[in-house]
Amino acid sequence: MIEVKALSKSFGKVKAVKEVSFVAPDNQVTALLGANGAGKTTSLRMIYSLITPESGEVMIDGINPQKEPEKARKLLGVLPDSRGLYLRLTARENIQYFGRLHGMSESQINSRIESLVEDLRMQDFIDRKTDGFSQGQRVKVAIARALVHDPQNIILDEPTNGLDVMSTRGVRSFLRKEKARGKCILFSSHVMQEVAAVSDEILIVNDGRVCASGTEKQLMEQTNMNSLEDAFVHIVTNGEGHE
Amino acid sequence: MSNQIFTVAKKEIKDNLRDRKTVMSSIFMGAVFMPVLFVVLMNFITNMQKDKAEAQLKVSVQGTANATSLVKFFKSKGAEIKEFNGDARQAIIDKDEEAVLVIPDTFAEQFEKGVPAKVELYYDKTAKGATNVTQSRITALLAEYSSNIGMTRLQLRGVSPMLLRAVMVEDHDVSTAQSKGAMVMTFLPYVLIIGLFLGSMYLAIDTMAGEKERNSLEPLLLNPIKRSNLLIGKLIATITFGIITMFATIAAFKVAMPFMPLADLGMTVDFGLKNVSILVLVLAPLTVMAASLQTIVATYSKSFKEAQTYVNLLMFIPMIPSMALMFMPIKEKLWMMATPVLSQNLIINQIMRGETVSTISIIAAIVGSLFVGLVLALIAIKLYKRESLLFSG
Repeated sequence: MIEVKALSKSFGKVKAVKEVSFVAPDNQVTALLGANGAGKTTSLRMIYSLITPESGEVMIDGINPQKEPEKARKLLGVLPDSRGLYLRLTARENIQYFGRLHGMSESQINSRIESLVEDLRMQDFIDRKTDGFSQGQRVKVAIARALVHDPQNIILDEPTNGLDVMSTRGVRSFLRKEKARGKCILFSSHVMQEVAAVSDEILIVNDGRVCASGTEKQLMEQTNMNSLEDAFVHIVTNGEGHE
Repeated sequence: MSNQIFTVAKKEIKDNLRDRKTVMSSIFMGAVFMPVLFVVLMNFITNMQKDKAEAQLKVSVQGTANATSLVKFFKSKGAEIKEFNGDARQAIIDKDEEAVLVIPDTFAEQFEKGVPAKVELYYDKTAKGATNVTQSRITALLAEYSSNIGMTRLQLRGVSPMLLRAVMVEDHDVSTAQSKGAMVMTFLPYVLIIGLFLGSMYLAIDTMAGEKERNSLEPLLLNPIKRSNLLIGKLIATITFGIITMFATIAAFKVAMPFMPLADLGMTVDFGLKNVSILVLVLAPLTVMAASLQTIVATYSKSFKEAQTYVNLLMFIPMIPSMALMFMPIKEKLWMMATPVLSQNLIINQIMRGETVSTISIIAAIVGSLFVGLVLALIAIKLYKRESLLFSG
């Protein structure tokens, strides 16, 4: 479970994140939906303690990542915005490296890789050097690498950015499976269909704030709109509805 | 968790060993190319010098008829006289002649009168190669002829020519056979130190700026490992490449030594086990400094190319003492022996000159270099912990 209380951060004079609070419980997919530059990535980066919040607090299963970053990271699996692989290493070696950094034994790593290969359908390229991988193959390896330690909490920043239909479906079904295993999944996106397809709870982020939350249905009811996209536009423009 | 440190170091070494470009440019360039270049250059230079000094002296003379006895003297000394007609100055500028001796019409008259008879010698002091050998041999012959004639004249007047020699210089050159050769070898320390810098350069760039360029830094930082441990692992990998290159360079020089014209230069460089051990002992701590320095510079760059530009500038650091030492022979002091790069230079020079390197110098070099290296490593760690690391550049 991820709990966020009144998180704020500014870069110079720009206030990127303003008093963001929410709870992402276990057994649920929570989405941060917002336009580019709305403050999603900065919020996520504070949650996985890559940057220090100006104020506010984060709790990952009761652990404060600011105070105990290593402990919190063991409970977290993160697919960040940048997801570069080591091109001279094979997909397997990329994943093994992160497993070892997590302090896993070689046998633990190998059996985990076997199940990830299965779930993410990586059989064809698991032992190939990652140089020249397609976007979809790269994202799969990056997800496997991030989740090699089978964490309870999963954070993904725009996971399907730049993926084709088949890869997107693959990632979605993987997330559903992980949710079924009782995981807490938090992801950010600016794509409406994406959010509508997988998330249970949607948090609409605009100008550094969470300005609405609820299921897709609830958000449409709140705004009297008949699509998530219309509801989103209504919320972020205060009902003025720019085209 | 020291296991994590070695996980990082092992991964970086494995990753970079797979890059043929890195292996070629660090280990091959540093270790093999340099000694080969050394052998070729040394042979070329010594052969050129030897050829000129031993070859028959050819003198281009304008106005041979004006000084028959001088010409005869030159011939008696084994010189070949070539009649020259034309503009002596232009011939030198055009590099048609190395040196031209012009004997003016006034020569015979002045000679008869017993006043200094003027001859003109044209040459280019700044010319490259062995031109200066020709000029100095002509000047020496002229001086010999002049003093022979002068002495005869004094004797004819009943004056002892010895009166002219108020001071007599007796040369005592105490340079040993090795120290003569050391002149040519002054750039050996530079080559060894450069090799070591080259060895760690690509690793420093790849593990720091490369990680940023590939966008793999952020995922890496999300692992449960302290940033200091992460950086220490990367530094160990970088230092390892520096040390491998150092060993390879020393080994390559040992192999190349017999092909260097050392005997012709009158030198015997002792590259035995003892001196090789000293080289390893004093050079190895320098790898820590080189790796840390390159890592610090690479932290500030966001792309491989940018880092390469800045890290290449660091190559000037090992050059500074090498260059300075070529021009000013200074007496070794303890503080110099504790100054990284300078101490390695001095000690390698001592070995080349066949001098015994004192234990205290070796200890000072090791302690001094390690201390500076560790301070730089701490700075690198400090910089790596900055939040702006991800966004810098």
